[in-house]
Amino acid sequence: MADSNPVIDIESLSKTFGTRRGTSHLAIADISLKVGDGEFVSILGPSGCGKSTLLYIVGGFEAPSTGAVLVDGKPVAGPGPDRGPVFQEFALFPWKTVLGNVMYGLLEQGVDRGQATDRARELLAMVHLSAYGNFYPKELSGGMKQRVAIARTLAYRPKILLMDEPFGALDAHTRTRLQNDLLDIWERDRKTVMFVTHSVEEAVFLSDRVAVMTRSPGRIKEIIPIDLPRPRKRAELLVNRRYQDYVVEIERLMELPPEEAQAS
Amino acid sequence: MTWTRRAGELAVGLLPIVLLLGLWQGLVFLKYAPPTLLPGPVTVFSRFFSLLGDPQFLQHGATTSFRLFSGFALAVAVGVGLGILAVGNRVVAAILRPLIRVLAPVPKIALYPAFILTLGFDHSSKIALVFVDAVFPILLATYQGALSVEPKLVWSARAAGVSQTRALFTIVLMAALPSILTGCRIGLVIACIVVFLSEMINSTDGLGYLLVRAARNFQTVDMFVPIISISILGLILNAAFNALRARLLVGYPEDN
Amino acid sequence: MKRIADIPGFPPLMACIGLLVFWDLVARYLAISGLPPAWDALKEVPVILADPEQLLNILSSIRRMVIGFFAALVFAIPVGLLMGRSRAVAAFFNPLLMTIYPVPKAALMPIIMLWLGVGDVSKILVIFLGVSLPVIYHSYQGARAVEQKMLWSAAAMGMGAPARLLRIVLPAALPEIMVGCRTGLVLALITMVTSEMIARQSGVGNILFNSLDLAQYGLVYATILIIGVMGFVLDVLFEKLREAVAGWAQPVHQIAVGSA
Repeated sequence: MADSNPVIDIESLSKTFGTRRGTSHLAIADISLKVGDGEFVSILGPSGCGKSTLLYIVGGFEAPSTGAVLVDGKPVAGPGPDRGPVFQEFALFPWKTVLGNVMYGLLEQGVDRGQATDRARELLAMVHLSAYGNFYPKELSGGMKQRVAIARTLAYRPKILLMDEPFGALDAHTRTRLQNDLLDIWERDRKTVMFVTHSVEEAVFLSDRVAVMTRSPGRIKEIIPIDLPRPRKRAELLVNRRYQDYVVEIERLMELPPEEAQAS
Repeated sequence: MTWTRRAGELAVGLLPIVLLLGLWQGLVFLKYAPPTLLPGPVTVFSRFFSLLGDPQFLQHGATTSFRLFSGFALAVAVGVGLGILAVGNRVVAAILRPLIRVLAPVPKIALYPAFILTLGFDHSSKIALVFVDAVFPILLATYQGALSVEPKLVWSARAAGVSQTRALFTIVLMAALPSILTGCRIGLVIACIVVFLSEMINSTDGLGYLLVRAARNFQTVDMFVPIISISILGLILNAAFNALRARLLVGYPEDN
Repeated sequence: MKRIADIPGFPPLMACIGLLVFWDLVARYLAISGLPPAWDALKEVPVILADPEQLLNILSSIRRMVIGFFAALVFAIPVGLLMGRSRAVAAFFNPLLMTIYPVPKAALMPIIMLWLGVGDVSKILVIFLGVSLPVIYHSYQGARAVEQKMLWSAAAMGMGAPARLLRIVLPAALPEIMVGCRTGLVLALITMVTSEMIARQSGVGNILFNSLDLAQYGLVYATILIIGVMGFVLDVLFEKLREAVAGWAQPVHQIAVGSA
């Protein structure tokens, strides 16, 4: 499925950053990855391996040094409403209410206010925040903020979701709940998802495939297809032998000493 | 903090002000200071309040306010506009940064004679001076505030289909608002002070002129009144600005 | 690879030259009355500096400024530090400071002159008033931010209250105090020029308006240049001093702004 007609086609991508000392730092090197329509792919790796950079390049927020990203066959030249980002930092607009945040993208795209309000209320219901439309982001907990951010991105119906460690700043309990909710939402319309995380369990639980990265420079070490039945239920998976095997296998992959230790 | 503690601190805070006024009145009352050199606070303030009904005095006040607000409004427009633009455009930033470095610590009041020579003795030269004095704190606060805006806010907007320029003047501007408003408040008080000084140095109307006129005629009471007027105007504007700031920044995190 | 724009001092130098060239071109081609070309003003600068009387004027201005500035530091830093470490002291001074914050200090010149005459004392007092406020404010903020645990450890080591203020609070608050001093220094110059422009007795501010009255426009602009350079140079020198004294702290990118 991934190879036949990819929605995201990453072709030998590299990114070099200039440092303050005038040297250059190779953040990611020669990454190729194809993501199929409706596929949920996780990018898994230790911190500093460049996995977020990879996502930002797909989002069009940063430019690659070499290589290219094709979305639906067209090269990415900048951000666009076909790729909706969700960040670990939530990045909600503090001056807008929850409803205002969710309506933002629609209003900017010229949808009239009435329609935008209806759509935003619908999405708030989907993320279980109907009662919070008139709250400001600062009045919400971290988990609620991330629900708003997800609703804000889904509002303008992106074809692809780019999720940058979206649950990384949340406590364990909230994290599990949001993972379940995300899978519920995904089961409904099966968007293409690129999901960056450093949690092995999270990646295995959510994904169709997991791309494991090494650091300095970031490369894809191996891509593991996760062959587990959907819809997935967390309680069932935890006792599922295959799930456990995947987790152990990937943990081992990540444990292996890096090919060469480098000062980054 | 409990209510009683707050009230207690307020009382402690009023103490030096009351003491100072008391000392002032006492000096006059006990005839240590001749009233020609130091009129008592009661005399000065009653004079101030009686002048509030005097159309001529109010006319001078209106002239000062006009210059103050024109210069300040211009400074806000240019300072905020350039500050935001400098964050979005490398060329603007490359030109602006060294200019600010050189011009910010220069005493702008020294430019006043140049403004008088090129713009004349009337409103324009005073407005120009208020503008150059108020624009730097606003510009700096805007630029620094806009520089530290979380880039992911902009990315979120760009992903929703918003253009780079539009994101700059909506998202970056709004995200930098706390810093911008701080700069504007500093600029406003500076504007207040500078407009008064410009009128003292060279003018035929306005509150500053009233002070100089009174000094020439050795009318000590009338020397105190304009200073009190401009200071009260400054305090009122500062308070009004804080109220406006609280309204505008409803949703923003407290810590700023 | 080092770009030319990275050399420290190069961009500001370019900015100065750019400003002068811009001024010169505007004056020559737009022919605004009252605006001589930059070159004409520049030619007057050595004339002023070579005139012993004018030079004495300028030097006495600087002397007053320095005295007022340091007198303000001696007074304002301890007050600010005490405010930062004691709620009672802060509560006592804060409303008073807030009330006199919007008072134009240089505007007090005519009244102070009435009491103390036209001499140095009046001018130094006005500068003292102008510098004190920002220095108190920043010392206060700096002392307030000193970590309580640092003071606890000092107290545990047997350090008394005055020693703690001098040996812990003062150094810890130093970076913030330096920000206050920098603003204060710019304010000292501004207050000095302004008060001289108002008093019209002597000093740089007086040269400005004397030459204006005598329609010696080149001289007016040359004096403006001299004052401008003084402001910039003082700020640069102070930044060097700050780096030497409080360089361990985060570099403060704040550029001093202020007004009398």
